[in-house]
Amino acid sequence: MDAQEDYIWPRATSELILLPVTGLECVGDRLLAGEGPDVLVYSLDFGGHLRMMKRVQNLLGHYLIHGFRVRGDPAVGDVDSQAMLAVFGSKGLRVVKVSWGQGRFREVWRSDLWSMSDWIWDVRWLEEKVAVALGHNSVALYNPMLGRLLQEVHCTDRCTLSSACLIGNTWKELTVVAGAISNELLVWYPASAADLEPVTPDRRVSGHMGVIFSMSYLDSKGLLATASEDRSVRLWKVGDLRVPGGRVQNIGHCFGHSARVWQVKLLENYLISAGEDCVCLVWSHEGEILQAFRGHQGRGIRAVAAHEQQAWVITGGDDSGIRLWHLVGRGYPGAGVSALCFKSQSRAGTLKAVTLAGSWRVLAVTDTGALYLYDLEVKCWEHLLEDKRFRSYCLLEAAPGPEGFGLCAMANGEGLIKVVPINTPAAAVDLTPFQGKVHSLSWALRGYEELLLLASGPAGVLACLEVSAAPSGKAIFVKERCRYLLPPSKQRWHTCSAFLPPGNYLVCGDRRGSVLLFPSRPELYPTHGVGIGVGLEVGGKAVAAAVAAVLSVGGGGEGDGSTPTEWGPVSTLPALHGKQGVTSVTCHSGYVYTTGRDGAYYQLRVQSGQLQPVLRQKSCRGMNWLAGLRMVADGSMVILGFHANEFVVWSPRSHEKLHVVHCGGGHRSWAFSDTEAAVAFAYLKDGDVMLYRALGGCTRPHVILREGLHGREITCVKRVGTITLGPEFDVASLLPLDPLEPGSQGPGLIDIVITGSEDTTVCVLALPTATGAAHALTAIGNHSSSVRTVAVWGASTPGGPQDPRPGLTAHVVSAGGRAEMQCFSLMVTPDPGTPSHLACHITHLSSHRLDEAWDRQRNRHRMVKGDPETRYMSLAVCEPDRPGLDPLVAAACSDGAVRLFVLQDSGRRLQLLAETFHHKRCVLKVHAFTHKSPGQRRLLLSSAATDGSLAFWDLTAVLDHGATALQPPAEPGFPHQLGTPCLTLQAHSCGINSLHTLPIGEGHHLVASGSEDGSLHVFQLAVELPELEEAAGEAEREPQLRVLEEHTVPCAHAAHVTGLRILSPNLMVSASIDQRLTFWRLGRGEPTFMNSAVYHVPDVADMDCWSVSPEFGHRCALGGQGLEVYNWYD
Amino acid sequence: MGRTSKDKRDVYYRLAKENGWRARSAFKLLQLDEEFQLFQGVVRAVDLCAAPGSWSQVLSQKITDGHVVAVDLQAMAPLPGVLQIQGDITQLSTAKEIIQHFEGCPADLVVCDGAPDVTGLHDVDEYMQAQLLLAALNIATHVLKPGGCFVSKIFRGRDVTLLYSQLRVFFSKVVCAKPRSSRNSSIEAFVVCQGYDPPAGFIPDLTKPLLDHTYDPDFNQLDGPTRIIVPFVTCGDLSAYDSDQSYPLDLDDGSEYQYTPPTQPPISPPYQEACTLKKKGQLAKEIRS
Repeated sequence: MDAQEDYIWPRATSELILLPVTGLECVGDRLLAGEGPDVLVYSLDFGGHLRMMKRVQNLLGHYLIHGFRVRGDPAVGDVDSQAMLAVFGSKGLRVVKVSWGQGRFREVWRSDLWSMSDWIWDVRWLEEKVAVALGHNSVALYNPMLGRLLQEVHCTDRCTLSSACLIGNTWKELTVVAGAISNELLVWYPASAADLEPVTPDRRVSGHMGVIFSMSYLDSKGLLATASEDRSVRLWKVGDLRVPGGRVQNIGHCFGHSARVWQVKLLENYLISAGEDCVCLVWSHEGEILQAFRGHQGRGIRAVAAHEQQAWVITGGDDSGIRLWHLVGRGYPGAGVSALCFKSQSRAGTLKAVTLAGSWRVLAVTDTGALYLYDLEVKCWEHLLEDKRFRSYCLLEAAPGPEGFGLCAMANGEGLIKVVPINTPAAAVDLTPFQGKVHSLSWALRGYEELLLLASGPAGVLACLEVSAAPSGKAIFVKERCRYLLPPSKQRWHTCSAFLPPGNYLVCGDRRGSVLLFPSRPELYPTHGVGIGVGLEVGGKAVAAAVAAVLSVGGGGEGDGSTPTEWGPVSTLPALHGKQGVTSVTCHSGYVYTTGRDGAYYQLRVQSGQLQPVLRQKSCRGMNWLAGLRMVADGSMVILGFHANEFVVWSPRSHEKLHVVHCGGGHRSWAFSDTEAAVAFAYLKDGDVMLYRALGGCTRPHVILREGLHGREITCVKRVGTITLGPEFDVASLLPLDPLEPGSQGPGLIDIVITGSEDTTVCVLALPTATGAAHALTAIGNHSSSVRTVAVWGASTPGGPQDPRPGLTAHVVSAGGRAEMQCFSLMVTPDPGTPSHLACHITHLSSHRLDEAWDRQRNRHRMVKGDPETRYMSLAVCEPDRPGLDPLVAAACSDGAVRLFVLQDSGRRLQLLAETFHHKRCVLKVHAFTHKSPGQRRLLLSSAATDGSLAFWDLTAVLDHGATALQPPAEPGFPHQLGTPCLTLQAHSCGINSLHTLPIGEGHHLVASGSEDGSLHVFQLAVELPELEEAAGEAEREPQLRVLEEHTVPCAHAAHVTGLRILSPNLMVSASIDQRLTFWRLGRGEPTFMNSAVYHVPDVADMDCWSVSPEFGHRCALGGQGLEVYNWYD
Repeated sequence: MGRTSKDKRDVYYRLAKENGWRARSAFKLLQLDEEFQLFQGVVRAVDLCAAPGSWSQVLSQKITDGHVVAVDLQAMAPLPGVLQIQGDITQLSTAKEIIQHFEGCPADLVVCDGAPDVTGLHDVDEYMQAQLLLAALNIATHVLKPGGCFVSKIFRGRDVTLLYSQLRVFFSKVVCAKPRSSRNSSIEAFVVCQGYDPPAGFIPDLTKPLLDHTYDPDFNQLDGPTRIIVPFVTCGDLSAYDSDQSYPLDLDDGSEYQYTPPTQPPISPPYQEACTLKKKGQLAKEIRS
């Protein structure tokens, strides 16, 4: 072992783990969460402000925590401030004593880590000893303080178990309920063993059709609950299980989950179950579902805990998120739908429209033209006014604002608009801006200073009315300010409007799906004529028509003599939301948000008087009719929409439906209002007004203790850069959440890392070096299939190289399934207002799909698509060193091609340039590198395939001269051919899963590859360039590539080597699915093993390494079924 | 998702259907045989965890004048020339039944392509797969002749070296093999153990499960340089289809694509009742006040 002493360096230590939460337990007023081998401690006593207290690291070594058992007897001491815990998982067991007196959580003592001979399914304290239920149906009596096995008793049936539950407080009464592979429950008593002979099961209970994953026993009621692979939960009346021979009766068979049920927990009044469908269900003991908690993402909920006094359920997911939910019992207090009983002898007519002024006043209009008010505090209908002219057709909209400004507007089919002050309806003002039907009405409010009412009339006329009140408050004034003209379309009216702060513009959405920008006072800003000119360029035909209309004479006001000017939009995004129209526009903190009936919401920006789309996001699956968007007090947004026949308030942040109303769908008159105190949703149904009200507004009633990361496996990790926070950002306060974390001093360095996942999203993460925490800054979900790879180029600072401001900008291209590529730009800037102290802005630039032509084809449902379903496996960006040249991105494709794309206009256009089917097999990796020699620079690309072969390509000419440097396509319309590679090499016998290069001087490069068979291949590549003079005359000659020194390490790892990085000419690090991070010494012949660390993330698919700073050393991020970050020093 | 999607995503899935195999895994055994001549001289073969039965299909075709016994806990559609035992491979009675069928003679070859239904929790799945392999090994020690061959699926996860060291105890030659029909992206591989040679004094005992080995500070270290990693062999020649590659529906061999339904749909899966209820809209729903 002495010989290895000098191999200790460098030693990697784990500094951050994000893994599925597999254990949860409430201990007093603390919550313990098991994540990998670490325990997260949360304090639950903070009156709604739950917070993380501490991370207790590495309790279980290389095992993962699956459960905690608290020693219950009072011998431990003060149960309110300390506890003795048995922590277990896999085969590992450790006892820890913790205390949390004086608001400080401390680990008082910990035992050694004990390894059992077999898997641990359950642990139970028997005074100072523990009983351990083991994998093959045996029970061990163990002294956990000394790590001594006292006794082990087997069952006669030594099948593999899928779960077990121990009952009883002494060895004598210890009862084992074992879930066998045969789907049966075996009940047996270890203490009945005579001379350690195996024990025959006392009872065998069958019923489940699949294996049993979890059990829970409720002593006080003699109930046992089981959760199974067959997607059901069964409730059994078992009486006292400690008494042999008792009767077992199945009293409930609960089907409610749509996938396997992982966890079950019996409480005095509830049965909690959670499963693979990411739903946590609360059942009554009679088998009714009382509540359903949805919000976790990905592959399910893995752990459940409950705090019965507080009526809390806490769930931990595969997404590494932890959420706290409130048990409310039967029905929801303070929420529900009630009929407002409009129908009465004294009120004639039937209701036509309803609206809400604030969340406590409902307004409704009947087909007799009568306007009624319902005040929720008075609880009765009041007749406000009646006007026969609004008999057959009437629009009704209340003004925005917390109390609806006390105003509402009505409009009829003849161009008549009536603005009604609700408290003094007699002071209503009538106005007829145009002749003909009023198609739509909407309000726009700027602070409390400016209130506009917009009304769409015939032929695209949009009248803008200014509404103001007399200082006395008794009279209101309505006057037409100006007129706009909408772009021509069949249904030519607007649907929504909002002021764009500071108030110079109005943003409108129309029925055709276009978003329009109008000057709010066009006559004051005549320079906007310039804007129209630009609009022509951007908006295309629709704007051109609108501009023409501005100049023409308006058709509406014949006989008036004077015709008001009709102003066209200064900027248009035509048909942004598709044919079904825009439904809402909202302006918030510098962005415009629009929703539409295409199921998407857009983030837009106005720059120099022009609308620009920033990001399109889809709402929750199946909700195609978005109706609105609201900003909530905590800074997040909620989406309103109709999902089949339900009205839904959905939170994109928590993936949760906050409110669901069975209203029957959106094709009826409805109104929504939210204030901090309550939300209200009113709609017409069966001739009555129905009102849904829920207290607490749109903020979620439940608490996210920790945000989840990706719902499924992480397929790629890429570090973008590091942000240094200036002294104004006090690093010590960076994470007020965990003040006890060590090492919170030091420079404010934050690494920005991008991850892509099978859950189709790309996530931007901030990893501060100071705290070992991770903050998800944003998740981008515009891929339609899994994301497999990301590449970054053009990393810079927000001010550019001339003006280095704190922050980071970069361009990112992501790719994956369905041959889809997305390109976006990223800007991270310091922002003291957020928990991470960073703000992340994403702008979508372009997307590309190989089979876009197919999507445009008609009748495609009748045809069979013969093309291969290509996946992009890997991306590499080749950046030119001279400005003016567009970077190239190379893609490894599963159909056997290496494709080259050109990123034009900083990524706003992605174009396929060339391809090659040289490999004829699935290409797994591409890697680009630069060769520099005096006077010359060559861009080289290496590609690797499933047959273990490597190919090297020279892309310099392609980058410099574009397609002209390539072989012409085989058929017209197809991409160019890349030609033959400069060098091919059989490096491995099977698929290559990792590839890296490093220049080592003298025109040489080190190339390393890792394969599926666990082998490493390292060689020196010599790049010999032709003499410059020689190449000048004719076409440029290809460089000569030669392999110099070649080494193979056959059994470097026991599984796929998926991460590989040459750190220096004599140091390399590799990571594999066998969960080892290994350092190798290079440069002395064959690579030699230095040391390795066992990490916790299974199925690692990608690794990125970078050096942070001399003080902090190096970091390495491993992404797989979770994320882990390691750190080491030189 | 169209019904051709799966055919396009996985060429072996499609070929299996077109060639009448019950599952794509048939190609894996065929390619293992190409490399190791597994069936040479084999008269008696046992297929453990046989359902849905593709390996039994291969065995019955390749071992023409011999006996093939297929064992599985689940029901399996019958196959000509294959004797089926629905039983637990951890039970002694199952071993006895196999030997009884071979008229007291031991088997030449024991294969096992079983995998647990993965839960997604990696450590549990790896453990369960290891237990399945060890249970198969345990029953193989009862039925395999000295010098016989044992082939089993293995997940190459964190603790795979512990399984290698366990198998080395019983076999003179242990190799890890990956057929080309097994995807690069899968952690699955196969251990081919040849020359059954139990340690002196070893008495097969099915009443005790074989427990997996633990890390050894000398020979099989957790994080040191010394680990038992067996040689790795890629099987199947390079001209075979690439299981990771996406192919067009019209393959190069000139044949025109025709949709083939699956050869053998699953028999009574555990979720059957839940699916029936869901189809009828009878799953429990939240009660509303």
